[in-house]
Amino acid sequence: MKMGLSQRQREELNKAIADYLCSNGYMDALEAFKAEADMPGEIERKYAGLLEKKWCSVIRLQKKVMELEVKLNEAEREYIAGAPTRDKRSPSEWIPRPPEKYCLTGHRAPVTRVIIHPMYSLMVSSSEDGTIKVWDYETGDYEKTLKGHTDSIQDIAFDHGGKFLVSCSADMSIKLWDFSSYECVKTMHGHDHNVSSVTFMPSGDYLLSCSRDKTIKMWEVATGYCVKTFTGHREWVRMVRVCNDGSLIASCSNDQTVRVWLTATKECKAELREHDHVVECIAWCEGNASNAVNEAVATDNRKPTYQGPFLMSGSRDKTIKVWDVGVGLCLFSLVGHDNWVRGLVVHPGGKYILSASDDKTVRVWDIKNKRCQKTLDAHSHFCTSLDMHRTAPYVITGSVDQTIKVWECR
Amino acid sequence: MNPAAVPTPLEDVQGDGRWLSMHNRFVNQAREMEPDVVFVGDSIVANLQCTEVWEKWFAPMHSLNFGIGGDQTQHVLWRLKNGELEFIKPKAVVVHVGTNNHQHTAAEVAGGIMEICRTIREKQPQTYIVALTLLPRGEKPNRLREKNSEINALIKETLRSIEMCQVINVDQDLVLGDGTIDHRDMFDYLHLTSQGYRRAFEPVYLLLTNLLHEDDPPILNNASSALLSPSSSPLLSPSGDNAPQTDTPATCGE
Repeated sequence: MKMGLSQRQREELNKAIADYLCSNGYMDALEAFKAEADMPGEIERKYAGLLEKKWCSVIRLQKKVMELEVKLNEAEREYIAGAPTRDKRSPSEWIPRPPEKYCLTGHRAPVTRVIIHPMYSLMVSSSEDGTIKVWDYETGDYEKTLKGHTDSIQDIAFDHGGKFLVSCSADMSIKLWDFSSYECVKTMHGHDHNVSSVTFMPSGDYLLSCSRDKTIKMWEVATGYCVKTFTGHREWVRMVRVCNDGSLIASCSNDQTVRVWLTATKECKAELREHDHVVECIAWCEGNASNAVNEAVATDNRKPTYQGPFLMSGSRDKTIKVWDVGVGLCLFSLVGHDNWVRGLVVHPGGKYILSASDDKTVRVWDIKNKRCQKTLDAHSHFCTSLDMHRTAPYVITGSVDQTIKVWECR
Repeated sequence: MNPAAVPTPLEDVQGDGRWLSMHNRFVNQAREMEPDVVFVGDSIVANLQCTEVWEKWFAPMHSLNFGIGGDQTQHVLWRLKNGELEFIKPKAVVVHVGTNNHQHTAAEVAGGIMEICRTIREKQPQTYIVALTLLPRGEKPNRLREKNSEINALIKETLRSIEMCQVINVDQDLVLGDGTIDHRDMFDYLHLTSQGYRRAFEPVYLLLTNLLHEDDPPILNNASSALLSPSSSPLLSPSGDNAPQTDTPATCGE
């Protein structure tokens, strides 16, 4: 027999096999094996479960080796090429790099969402502790706490100019906050369950919300009235996001689908199914990012074939998928996260997608090459959310470890 | 009638209502969170959530811990029948209970565990049930240790009749060659130290990892996959086809 085992290893393997046979009650086989392998007597205790243990550990080691190889490869590249210096950085290329600039504490429960103010150097975090906190990401200073919700806050969003902030909660309400006075100016009721996500329409005069009650609702900001209800999802709707011109609304759900709705008619234009688990988050790929998507799917001599609009989704099946909403097709998947994908944002330059995951990392994906370019070990527990500044070199992340981190880009 | 298999709420002899508070919290957590793994049982389960291995191994699996110190089989049974398994769809439920059933015989306790597993199967038809063998107790061999071994032997037999239900040995490395238990593994010869948890729960971690990762997609988009061609990297291919080749050292054939 041609085998790479030493005499001693062979004996150990035999004993481990004997233990396996014994512990599974294959007594006839055991006796026969013992006789053939010339191995009389009892099997020592140290072989108990050995075979199964080795069987399992090979898979874990393979995984570990692959992770280490990725890290080594990255480290080598940075060592050879060197990360660009602060002066040379170009806004379309810069990506977040460790270590973090600030690690901010204050929340008393997991952080559920972090967002950057569109004008000022402020960011806002929401938490399962029922509070919203305002921070300065340039100085790392804590500014203010907004209290009012009575249960876990699920999502927050600014309007275009950052004059209003909206929040939604497991207490089933939506609150509108005047961001100059930090006062709650309106509370909207209407959902029958946990409100999971909220966002402003681009014009700023309407809000969208979605809930565990399976519906999506549109609210008029001026009056606080619910003006439209979108129904169709079969389970908990996790996130709702509107495209830049306001004509299309995308949502994702525990029913494992992503849906796209026509704002005007409430008609469901597309139902995108390919994820194998709850879809946690979505983001539109517009502007430069749509060119990158087309480059990613272009075959040799062909001109870009997909018109878009393009949408991406992140799921508990650990993948990120990029979709052409126009034709209702999944164009490609980004695989690499080792746990649920919880947050997605498109790099303002359009070349990259950034994702946050329960594997505690943030990953930067090169869209054109459909490849993970950089992995940041971001937090000590699940990384629940991230946002990126549109013009300044900052990325922020929030986590179940109750901290918020600010990362500088180079 | 087997008293260990009749759902019974704990009598609040001390008067602070903690048992019911914990149960109510678990019911709420079941409603709000979406766990992939649920641990139910006694203090061995409850104390697990304060350990390093919980943070490192079990929390990343999206686990919830429904352990209550001192619980007996009939108490856990009551909790499971009164809300702790509603609204959730876990992929696995892990059970350790029975070591506190002092007034019941081994057969009665095994019957209680059987009833718990039946209840889990009925409420969660899709989930894997992982029943842990009861841990040994007492520094030296004693009557209770024998009783727990007897229970373990019984459940290994009886639980076979339940589909997707597996008994896992967590007691194998704890009793030393001379029959004693080391206080470094079990500080009071009943509860585990963090080293004890690492020893006892490693098989649980390995099994759960396998169960949860069974249908993972292969890793495709990592930067390294382009650098390693399939032939140079047997590790990237699924274990089946290339496995025999990898046993042979690469230089062998040349």
